[in-house]
Amino acid sequence: MLIVEIVFTGLLMGSFYALMALGLTLVFGILKIVNFAHGEFFMIGAYAYTLLVVWAGLPQVPAMLSAVALGALAGVLMERLLMRPLYTGVIGPGALRDEYAIIVTFGLSLFLINLSHQVLGPYPVKGPDLVAVSRMELFGMFVSPHRLLASGLAVLTLALIVWLIRTTVWGKRVQAVAQNRFGAAIAGIDHARVSALVLALSGGIVALSGALLSPLFHAYPDVGAFPAVKSFVVVVLGGMGSIPGSILGGLLLGVLENFGAIYISYEYRDTFGFIILMLVLLLRPQGLFGERAREV
Amino acid sequence: MRRIALSPADHRLAFAVLGVVALIPLGVRSEYWLGVLITGLYFAMLAQSWNLLAGIAGLFSMAPAAFAMVGAYTTGLLHHHLQIGPGVGVPAGAVVAAAVGFGLGRITLRLRGAYLALTTLAFSEILRLVIANSIEWTRGDLGLSVPGILGGAKVPILYLFLGVLAAYQALLLLLLRSRVGLFLLAIRDDEVGAVARGVDLVRYKTLAFTLSAAGCGVAGALFVHFLQLASPELGLILQTGLVISMVVIGGMGTATGPLVGALLVEVAAEALREVGVRHLLVFSALVILVGRFFREGLMGLLARLAPGARLVARPASDAERLA
Amino acid sequence: MSALLALSEVRKSFGGIMAVADVSLAIAPGELVGLIGPNGSGKTTLLNLITGFYPPEHGRVRLLDHDIGGRRPNEIFRAGVVRMFQQVRVFRRLTALENLEVAGRTAGLTAAAARQQALRLLERLGLAAHVHDDVGTLSGGQQKLVEFGGCFMSGPRLVVLDEPFAAIHPTVKQVMVDVIGERHAAGQAFLVVSHDIPAIMRLCPRTVCMNAGAVIADGPTEQVMADRAVVEAYLGGHAR
Repeated sequence: MLIVEIVFTGLLMGSFYALMALGLTLVFGILKIVNFAHGEFFMIGAYAYTLLVVWAGLPQVPAMLSAVALGALAGVLMERLLMRPLYTGVIGPGALRDEYAIIVTFGLSLFLINLSHQVLGPYPVKGPDLVAVSRMELFGMFVSPHRLLASGLAVLTLALIVWLIRTTVWGKRVQAVAQNRFGAAIAGIDHARVSALVLALSGGIVALSGALLSPLFHAYPDVGAFPAVKSFVVVVLGGMGSIPGSILGGLLLGVLENFGAIYISYEYRDTFGFIILMLVLLLRPQGLFGERAREV
Repeated sequence: MRRIALSPADHRLAFAVLGVVALIPLGVRSEYWLGVLITGLYFAMLAQSWNLLAGIAGLFSMAPAAFAMVGAYTTGLLHHHLQIGPGVGVPAGAVVAAAVGFGLGRITLRLRGAYLALTTLAFSEILRLVIANSIEWTRGDLGLSVPGILGGAKVPILYLFLGVLAAYQALLLLLLRSRVGLFLLAIRDDEVGAVARGVDLVRYKTLAFTLSAAGCGVAGALFVHFLQLASPELGLILQTGLVISMVVIGGMGTATGPLVGALLVEVAAEALREVGVRHLLVFSALVILVGRFFREGLMGLLARLAPGARLVARPASDAERLA
Repeated sequence: MSALLALSEVRKSFGGIMAVADVSLAIAPGELVGLIGPNGSGKTTLLNLITGFYPPEHGRVRLLDHDIGGRRPNEIFRAGVVRMFQQVRVFRRLTALENLEVAGRTAGLTAAAARQQALRLLERLGLAAHVHDDVGTLSGGQQKLVEFGGCFMSGPRLVVLDEPFAAIHPTVKQVMVDVIGERHAAGQAFLVVSHDIPAIMRLCPRTVCMNAGAVIADGPTEQVMADRAVVEAYLGGHAR
């Protein structure tokens, strides 16, 4: 029974990891970069939801939606202001492009963290759970209804995104730009718009994760650090740019971490993610589902 | 168009800056500001070491602070457990950091760009967490108390740091004059092209990592003897972020940029602190601006003043060539 | 006469696709050989196998009786096989001079000797005015010439060129053709991969044709160009 509980609660957490990782992988797919400011979209969502409820007195649902909207807005702004040079040809190919992306997104990450530190202070702010009941029994296990609901929402969002990308016309455009931006442009697709919208989508879903998890983790300036790391691990594990990889990888990480925390060591639980990340990058950089690009 | 980056003029300017710093204690008496300057010199050592790896060899590592921490804890642990003084501790810090750097370099040979950044970031955090959690050995977050050097007097310590930094600068010059420097620059621009022209990637990438790590290790070891405390906070990603900011703002891939960047940022940080503004807020904003618009940092601006010269000629993009 | 480069039953596949299927080929010292074949016939993969970018799954690649199969590209460079890439590869933030010096220094030349030789080569290639310019600021054709020049710094035994004439100005192409001719007359061996049939016909006494990973013709160029199998595979079934 214990095993089932560990797996179940691991999956609950894993659904968030999957959602966050999906946000990261979407950005990679469309821009071919790793967004080092990824965790800060989470932070934006966490702060937005919490502050809107606690300070502005907004009801929870509008606050949640506003947090998502703010995340999406942040995504669009980032794309417009900072990501354009990546595909307008101003930066040369290869190494310089990677360097630009790392410097700019890492700088953005530092900036956003310090901005919230400066403006909102370092102390965590806690918002109310989605559901007032703190504990309920489900199939003989004790779970938090908030987590259950939040996880359900996460899963729903995941399904929505997959449907969007796989079946809609817009989704096909996204796939086209991800596979070959130049080719898509020739075919008449407004690739800049697609980029902006994908970043909006990414920002929105990561902000949603932040909002959903904020009652648990609270909102503070570097709250985005741990989801960022988890997302990196999942995306690397599942394969950069692979949607199924992110989802399966997220769920897997959630379960593995739970086992690790309980059976191996609680103190070093943060280290597991990093160790998995390093091992995957060193042994199989393309992850489980990614492709190895031809170099020469 | 003459290129300024890593040119003789660039190196001369770097030594000139060091010369100016050497004169400062003659005019400035404030113990506080001398301490700030020493910290600035510490960061300058880290900045130059990181610049060698990222700016010259093109290997964007997120581990400089971790290597400083390795150097710091080597000397700290040697003293704490074996009562060994800094005379042995600091060189030992260099050796241990170099060994770790060698290892990291070897295992990350096939990684580039963001994958390399992520791996070194993970590595850095693993090291920091291990040190912070190994309380029986390292006293964790409480930190290790470390003996002072040169009687704790700021002026002699400043000159010690300056001397070591000058040595870094001289080593850099020698390296860049030799074929090693040429090979590292080739690796930076195109690894595949480099290996096809006979450059031994394994040897030179590992060498870059080893030298960079050693440089960070010595800096870390010296710094904790100045602070008289070794703490895991030395290895925070935050610190790496600061080092990266300093180099980017100063001018990545130049001889003077990291130096100037580190000193200015450190001094400015103190000034900002007095006004109650978080220094990293300002510097990260600068990093974004520099990255987005002024690719070449302060050195780039400086180079614009020199007639007919360019810092690092920006490779003509496809868009420009087709225009 | 022992072969300079000898491939015997070299094989390489990717996933389920056999890119190079048991190819055997020999190049004599000083020979100038053309390599043609339709897209996807395995020419570039073969070059990558020769120059160390892929290890062969099966078969041997020998340079003067030394096994070089699976060795690293820099070792193969030092052994005497130098290549040019299909998509130009130069060091954009280094000067034209420095680009060539890299190849000279890895080959063991002193700084002074490498510099002298590089200057001479750049002069011959018509790039004397750009010696100290960062290669990234040069035009595509000029960059290609810099890469081409870098092939001759180390006194190689065999120079392998991958589509050297693709997408360049005729004057640049002429410079390359002239230099290849001069060097060949002085005893340099070349393997030239190209789709430019007229250039191959003018330049190479011998041509090899590949299709679907295998060698389908190998002999004097005129014969190969008239070979029915080559015409069908490569020219799409229209005989000249």
